[in-house]
Amino acid sequence: MLQTYFGEATAPLAPPTLFIFGPLPVTNSMVYGVLMAAIVLSIFVIAARASQLWPKSRLAFWLESFTDLVMSMIIDTFGGDRRRAVKHFPLLISLFVFILACNLSGLLPGVGSITYNGASLFRAWTTDLNSTLAMATLALLTVHIYALSEIGARGYFKHFFSGSLKSPLTIFIGINELIGEVLRLVTLSLRLFGVIYGGEALLVAIEILAGNFSWAAALPIMFLEIFVAFVQAYLFMMLTASYLVMAVSHGEPESSPEMQPAAARS
Amino acid sequence: MQEVDPALIKGLTIGLGAIGPAIGVGLIGASAVGAIGRNPEIQGKILANAFIMVGLVDAVFAFVLLILFTTS
Repeated sequence: MLQTYFGEATAPLAPPTLFIFGPLPVTNSMVYGVLMAAIVLSIFVIAARASQLWPKSRLAFWLESFTDLVMSMIIDTFGGDRRRAVKHFPLLISLFVFILACNLSGLLPGVGSITYNGASLFRAWTTDLNSTLAMATLALLTVHIYALSEIGARGYFKHFFSGSLKSPLTIFIGINELIGEVLRLVTLSLRLFGVIYGGEALLVAIEILAGNFSWAAALPIMFLEIFVAFVQAYLFMMLTASYLVMAVSHGEPESSPEMQPAAARS
Repeated sequence: MQEVDPALIKGLTIGLGAIGPAIGVGLIGASAVGAIGRNPEIQGKILANAFIMVGLVDAVFAFVLLILFTTS
C-alpha cells in the first residue's frame, strides 16, 4: 500500500473540466494554453508591426535578434540548407516560443491558487499529457507528410524497408523502424509532460517539506525549473528539426552516385 | 505480507531512480569538458549539444519524479 504525502497538494494528473463549451469539455490547461497563445501571438504581432530597417522599437529589436538566433540554429541543424530551413521555420519557432511560454507560465504566482468551481482556473498547458501529445502528433504528422511529399510513396516505403523484401532481416528491421516511429511520438510527448509536471510537483513537495522556509527552499528549484523550461522547449524544437532532416536524408545515399564510393570505402 | 513503510518505498524510488540519470549526466559532462579541452574554439556548439543530451537524460529522472508524486 503506497500512500502519497503530497497527493492532496499536487495537481491531479488529469486536468479537471471547468465548463462545457458546446460538445467540448474545456479543462483548465486549455484555458491557460489559449491565453498564453493569445499573449505570445499579440507580442509577436506588435513586434512585427514595429519592425523596420533601423529598428526604433526595443521589443522589435530583441525579437528580431532572437528569431535570427533560432534561425541560425535551425540552418545548422539542416546542414546549411537555407531553403528547407526557411520552409520549416514557422512551425519550429512557433513550437519553441509557445512551449517556452507555457513552461514558464506555470511558475507565475496565482496559477494553482485561483479557483473556479472548485478547480484551479489556470494550469500550465504543458503539464497536461493531452496537450503535449497533441503537439507531438502535429510535429510528427508534419514530418511524415513532408517526407511523403519530398521523396514520394516509394521512397517513403524504402525508408523503412531498405533492401530486398525477400530477406527476413529487412522485414524485421522495417517493423522495428515502424515501432520506433510510434515510440518517437510517446517519448516526445512524455518527455515534455514528465519534466514540466514533475518539476511543478517537486516545487510543491519542497515547499511542503520546508514549512516556514519555503520561500528560501523553493528558490533554487525555481531556477532549475526556468533552466529546464528552456532546455525542454529547445529540445522539442531540435528533435522535430532533426526528425525532419532524418525523414528525407535516409534514402539519398543510394540514389546519388557520387556518395557510393565514399560509403564503400569507409 | 508485512506492511512496508511508504516513506521507505519513496526513498528507494528516488534513490534508485537517480543513479542512472546521474551516471548519464556525469558522462555527458566529462565528455563535454574533454571535448572543449581538445578544441576550445567550438565551445559553444559542444555546450549546446551537451545541454540537449542533458535534457534527454534528465527526462528519465523526471519520470521517476512523476511516478513518485502521483502514486496514491
